[in-house]
Amino acid sequence: MRIASFAAALWLGLMPNAAFAHLASTRFGEFYGGLLHPYSTLTHLLPWLALGLLGGLQSPATARWVLLAFPLAVAVGATLGSWLPPWPPVDTLNLLSFIVLGLGAALALRLGRPAFLGVAALFGISHGYANGIVELSGSERLLYIGGVACAAYVLIALVTAAAQTLAQQRQWGSIAVRAAGSWVVAVGLIFGGFTLLALGA
Amino acid sequence: MTGLCKQHALKRLCTLPRGAGLCLGLIALLGAGDVFAHAEVGVAGGLASGFLHPVYGLDHLVAMVAVGLWGAQLGNPAIWMLPITFPVVMAIGGLLGVAGVPVPLIEVGISASALALGAMVALNMRPPLALAAALVGVFAIFHGHAHGTELPSAVNPLAYGVGFVISTGLLHLAGIALGVMTRWPAGDKAVRILGGGIAALGAFFLAGSVGFI
Repeated sequence: MRIASFAAALWLGLMPNAAFAHLASTRFGEFYGGLLHPYSTLTHLLPWLALGLLGGLQSPATARWVLLAFPLAVAVGATLGSWLPPWPPVDTLNLLSFIVLGLGAALALRLGRPAFLGVAALFGISHGYANGIVELSGSERLLYIGGVACAAYVLIALVTAAAQTLAQQRQWGSIAVRAAGSWVVAVGLIFGGFTLLALGA
Repeated sequence: MTGLCKQHALKRLCTLPRGAGLCLGLIALLGAGDVFAHAEVGVAGGLASGFLHPVYGLDHLVAMVAVGLWGAQLGNPAIWMLPITFPVVMAIGGLLGVAGVPVPLIEVGISASALALGAMVALNMRPPLALAAALVGVFAIFHGHAHGTELPSAVNPLAYGVGFVISTGLLHLAGIALGVMTRWPAGDKAVRILGGGIAALGAFFLAGSVGFI
């Protein structure tokens, strides 16, 4: 039974390339493109992870608002990025997000709701902007933006929930969350420095 | 439907999702090529080279384990302070390496870190926290510089940075996990012996880096 199901899986996996491409290009292709784009780019993935870690160290009443605010901000940013030309300060802001969000998590900063949501919205817009694709139009653009916003929601919801649970239910949990935040700061410092030096050179 | 039939139907229902999951996994894996056209290039290579950089250098490896061991030996708050602050200080050293700012005697500093930190563990030294943090911080600069120097030539510099930071963090974690043994008298001795071993390796590397051997 197992061998049969494995063989069937292999056959299904190898066969439907054309069908998959057909589906992707006619219906939800750009949605999936938007969904996967932030996950396949470390420059987005790491700061988003850090925002989730920071959310995990806030009060649950504050943290749950980010589930709404961040994906909306990303959608707004992606909409702007899909209409307007690339704007270099956005990339600098995104590099800064590694350090600000990672440092916030490493120091276990307890921010008030307006401050936390403000930071999440600012970086949501900047990361959304960088995810925008000018070449898309009409429904393709809409699907793509929807995909990016869904990616933001899924990642933030999962990481914030995991970090909240760890920090509240395990003695070592908040240390682990803070250590992960310091890793993001470290990566941000080195990569940010490298990028800025390369730009200046 | 007889009980047997019900059982059979239930079994089929239970086994179906596994097969379906496998199918979906394979389809996603094989069909995802188009979508990943957006992806950064060289992520896997950069991650692997960054991750392996601290592991391949035995001097890096033992010094990082010693940081974790010493943190565990010192107890609160060092046990959590060192793993949180070390990556950030190391990143500053890495930044100097990336910028090409020379730090003298890098190899000597890395070997000396293994010797000194191993000795601290072996002798169960308990200096004030600020002094311990300063000592570890100075050594973090040397380690970070060595990793940072390699970064610009990495396939994917960001992935390389992620790799070496995670690798370093996991080595600290390994040290902390081994350091938990200090709760028991025999374990405490074992940790100190381990520290002695690290110090001996550090002395060996130090002798090599200054040209004695």
